[in-house]
Amino acid sequence: MTTSDIETADRLSRRRARALPLFAVLFISQQASFIAARVEDGARSVDQVKIAAWLVLSVIMLLLLTTGGFWFKPRPVRQLLDDDVTRANRADALRLGFLATMAAGIGTYLLTLAETVTGREAVHLMMTVGIAAALLRLGWLERRAHRDG
Amino acid sequence: MAEGLGNRLNELRGERGLTQAALAEAVGVSRKTINTVENGVFVPSTLLALKIARALERPVEEVFFLED
Repeated sequence: MTTSDIETADRLSRRRARALPLFAVLFISQQASFIAARVEDGARSVDQVKIAAWLVLSVIMLLLLTTGGFWFKPRPVRQLLDDDVTRANRADALRLGFLATMAAGIGTYLLTLAETVTGREAVHLMMTVGIAAALLRLGWLERRAHRDG
Repeated sequence: MAEGLGNRLNELRGERGLTQAALAEAVGVSRKTINTVENGVFVPSTLLALKIARALERPVEEVFFLED
């Protein structure tokens, strides 16, 4: 582990902290367009593309949340980017994401009492709330960790 | 009971003329880790506390202490 590794990890970690809230906004806006369009049957090609794009983006966001990202960086840098503090912050963010998903599930269940909600819409809603909450929380915790440095 | 973990990291690091990045390199962690431990944002594991104390060449109880 060299000075260069420490500096590289520090720079990338700050960049990640700044990018996480932007990822959350991007993710939410993509879901908002889906919900606004009320894609229901997925029969049209354009709908299939939207669903595929949503799935790909969701998987990428989940991988980012669970692994920390920077998969193609050298091992020493990746280890520094996934150190004790980052792992603790990630655990905190994932905990909040889980709670937010459960809250969205309860909210969706209550919503079905008033109007019809398809299974696909419910899944979108719960995943959007859960992943976005975790991304925002991780971004906030990481920014705080870099403060006063 | 409201006990927290205090530390003299900033003071001891200053005595040795080490930056956060230099101490991070000596310990083998990121600068962010040293920053959060120093600011009391993150409570280090026993292993990390011992590594920091060793890098500063001080007994661990001189670097970290319980605060009421």
